[in-house]
Amino acid sequence: MPATSAIDPLTELMPRIAAGDRAALRQLYQATSAKLFGVCLRILSNRDESEDVLQEVYITIWRRADRFEAGRASVMTWISTIARNRAIDRLRARGPLAYAEQVEELEIDDGQPRADALLEAAQDGEALGRCLSELDERTEKVIRTAFFEGVTYEALATRMDAPLGTVKSWIRRGLAKLKGCLES
Amino acid sequence: MSEPLTPDLPEDEAFAAEHALGVLNAGERAAAELRMAREPAFAAHVEAWRERLAPMLATILAVEPSTRVWPRIERGLPVNDNSERGVRFWRGWAMGGMGLAAASMAAVVVLATRPPEIIAPPTPGQLLNARLDTSGGQHLFVAAYDPVRQKLIVTSLVAPGTDPVHVHELWLIPADGKPRSLGQIEPGTSKTLPMPQGLSAMAKEGAAIAVSVEPQGGSQQDGPSGPVAAIGQLAKI
Repeated sequence: MPATSAIDPLTELMPRIAAGDRAALRQLYQATSAKLFGVCLRILSNRDESEDVLQEVYITIWRRADRFEAGRASVMTWISTIARNRAIDRLRARGPLAYAEQVEELEIDDGQPRADALLEAAQDGEALGRCLSELDERTEKVIRTAFFEGVTYEALATRMDAPLGTVKSWIRRGLAKLKGCLES
Repeated sequence: MSEPLTPDLPEDEAFAAEHALGVLNAGERAAAELRMAREPAFAAHVEAWRERLAPMLATILAVEPSTRVWPRIERGLPVNDNSERGVRFWRGWAMGGMGLAAASMAAVVVLATRPPEIIAPPTPGQLLNARLDTSGGQHLFVAAYDPVRQKLIVTSLVAPGTDPVHVHELWLIPADGKPRSLGQIEPGTSKTLPMPQGLSAMAKEGAAIAVSVEPQGGSQQDGPSGPVAAIGQLAKI
């Protein structure tokens, strides 16, 4: 079963969406909404809020499709970034308590990824997963937490009861190692 | 335990990676989004890091949203249909290159299929508002226009002191797609700007408000000379 294809079938939808083709947006929604809803739900842990954010995300895609540049990012990464940003905005709007209420271990018991999600993840995902696991446990955890929960340096430092500069240097060093590992 | 020595990321790339990861606070995020609009090399770093980290998203469980979401999205679209045309074209012009070609084509297609439209004049006293966001969907400015007093109130959510070398210039882009300067706004401040004579008729629902990053003194051209950092449309509250 081919895990990759040279042409991303979602890419051809983008200029159509930019031109105002609703059927194309609907196709994109059908192909990607479960994934993006999962992303929102993961960050917000609340269905109603996640549905509100999901709605905003597709309206944003509709308005912004003309800014998508096929050479620079994949459609999935681009729309996932919008979903993540919007969900994080919503989370942060709840105020500082939102961070305190988050379960730290959330990213570890992750539910069971669907078979197709695993397939998608197979190529790059394996490399990233392997490289993340090569980091020391604390750094891996802090990077995953930051990514999935949109937690700022300040909030991470509070949660881990560590100085801001220290948390920052863990993450920066971790990211440098991650890059080195992915490129090796 | 011996660890291979990893050189630190250069400062620019480290900041880009932090932005992609999501650890920056609101002010830093806004600064990063502005840099993305201004510096293609920095934007490329952020994109590359987003791609690097994206496989983590693939491990997230996909969950079907309820069937009521799509109809809600569809209901949200006509507003954009009515108002984006001129803006799309203009945006493409501002970005140049591939964007220009794609946007011009989009504009041609859309104009050709344009249905008759009736835009009711705003009821006296009704404010119009706009949230100006970046290509990454981050809100950087909010604006409210009072058609009766003919004043635009703008708030910058960019951290004060960000990028002192440049200024942020506001533009009104009405239906004809041609940007008109409205003045400048300092990072982290609010300001009330009078709508210049002759423009108030154009400042209606669907017109866009944009902010470009300009050298000190503002754009010397008839339109923005620097990159457009954020854009949004006036809509009824």
